[in-house]
Amino acid sequence: MINKKFYKHQLITKLSILFLPIVVSWIALFLGAYGVTPVMVIKILLNETLHLFEMGDIPEKAIVIDIRLPRVILAGFVGAALSCAGVTLQGIFRNPLVDPFILGISAGAAFGCAITIGFLSFLPIQIMAFVFAILSVMIAYGVARTQGEVSRLPLILSGVIVSAFFTAMVSIVKFLVDPHKLQSIVYWLMGSFSLADWKAVRVATVGFLAGVIPIFLMRWRLNVMSMGEDEAKALGVNIKRERLLFIGFSTLAVAVATSLCGIIGWVGLMVPHLVRMLTGPDHKTLVPLSISAGAAFMIAADTVSRTLTSFDIPVGIITALTGAPFFIYLMKRGGKEAWGR
Amino acid sequence: MMLKIKEIYFRHKERKEDVLKGISFDAQGGHITTILGPNGSGKTTLFKCIAGLWHYYKGEVLFEGKAIDKLSFRKRARIFSVVPQEHEPPFPYSVFDVVLMGRASYVGLFSTPSKRDYEIVEEAINTVGIENLKEKPYTKISGGERQLTLIARALAQNAPVMLLDEPTSHLDFRNQINVLKKIKEIAKNKKLVVLMTLHDPNLAGLFSDKVVVVNSGTKVAEGTPNEIITESLIKRVYDIEVRKSIINGHSIICPVI
Repeated sequence: MINKKFYKHQLITKLSILFLPIVVSWIALFLGAYGVTPVMVIKILLNETLHLFEMGDIPEKAIVIDIRLPRVILAGFVGAALSCAGVTLQGIFRNPLVDPFILGISAGAAFGCAITIGFLSFLPIQIMAFVFAILSVMIAYGVARTQGEVSRLPLILSGVIVSAFFTAMVSIVKFLVDPHKLQSIVYWLMGSFSLADWKAVRVATVGFLAGVIPIFLMRWRLNVMSMGEDEAKALGVNIKRERLLFIGFSTLAVAVATSLCGIIGWVGLMVPHLVRMLTGPDHKTLVPLSISAGAAFMIAADTVSRTLTSFDIPVGIITALTGAPFFIYLMKRGGKEAWGR
Repeated sequence: MMLKIKEIYFRHKERKEDVLKGISFDAQGGHITTILGPNGSGKTTLFKCIAGLWHYYKGEVLFEGKAIDKLSFRKRARIFSVVPQEHEPPFPYSVFDVVLMGRASYVGLFSTPSKRDYEIVEEAINTVGIENLKEKPYTKISGGERQLTLIARALAQNAPVMLLDEPTSHLDFRNQINVLKKIKEIAKNKKLVVLMTLHDPNLAGLFSDKVVVVNSGTKVAEGTPNEIITESLIKRVYDIEVRKSIINGHSIICPVI
């Protein structure tokens, strides 16, 4: 009897998380400097997709479709990618305290983007972002790995080191680059969706399909991999190959996200934890729910960043303001366990 | 069914001396074979070599006459199930989820467990008798319950050979006996080749059909426990004076103090 009630409760929680991005998107579309009523948003969206009735060229339409909608969708994709990468990295490294930002992946990707903007403008920005992102996670992992196991604290420390290194490299690029390009690097690095347009959404869609969808399909194996290397092997998992696949896909997702909106930290750490607390650690449900919760969280954070004051605050500031205290809370709650093996 | 270990040699990377110096024995289906030896005797190394986690540089492990060291992890996991020593996973998976992991070698890389996998897991849980634990977090149950969960997971692997690494090392007296009784029952009913390591000669004697005694990387004795666990052998291997006597038809050794 208690069980039945518990399952029903769980199911409702899971469904709510799954549909949260839709509700949050709707709210994000009617909030902003120019007032659009909630009903009007729905009307405009229906008109745009189904062409039910003629609306004429009202300013609300341009604001919702050309300005707010791409921004909301982009924020959703980026939040989903960062959160999915976070839950993946936590699983394969058996470490609840890591995410793409802490492991230096974001910094590596940022460096790749910066040198592309500065010196290799003929290349698509995502290529070098991916190359340096994968390089940084490999270094962080390689440094922390001793005798086949990666313990928690060394992994975080090596991530901090890699992150510091690539942040310094970005500074060198900023120093050397010509001033016109410097401006665009600085603006983009702050982590913001203010430049969102439909072109960025198309790139984000490709990144989502190439990075997040494979992880979603492989998600159950994260359960097995989080039991440790020897155990995963004995259970029939080719751990080296599968770990590489997971790192590759999550890094790809992060690199594309970083190339579009700069460094946004903490989402990949926070969101999977919240979802795990609410619905349990089984990756079969944890991964899809983290993807949708990440999207919802990022859309909400971005909406706060653009509506709180009369100008756009970089969204990275909002996520850091919530993420850093959350990290401290996790550390304290986990106590010794969080830092140990 | 038969598992054959032939002339296994092992040494650690960049070391000169062998840790295992040509160990051979075999293990039968439906029987419990125990590798017995003191700490540092090489029994854990031998276990890891047989389980395929470490690579021996000479020798062979044969199942039904076929060498298994060249098999992929996936194929190997369908022949060998491994029950590791008790450990703590980083996330509080439910007991059911942990047992379900036993199906990893049957689930495709890009898919999730099927309905059939769930049925097999239910069956394994019933066989071990831990239905009441199914929904409990694995991190919140006792050592004995964890060991039973891992045994259920090994059963869900549907492998003909079950390897157990010191299944009693972290357990209290009651759980030691319960877990070993369960292992014995499963070995008999499912006709599995069960191979485990133990360091307690009395437990090895009580529950094994065959004991392989290992010391400093070589096999010292092999046979039924009553035959080979003798006062002189224990003196030789453990350097302890003991007396042997028969209680309830089992031979038991007791140290002289």
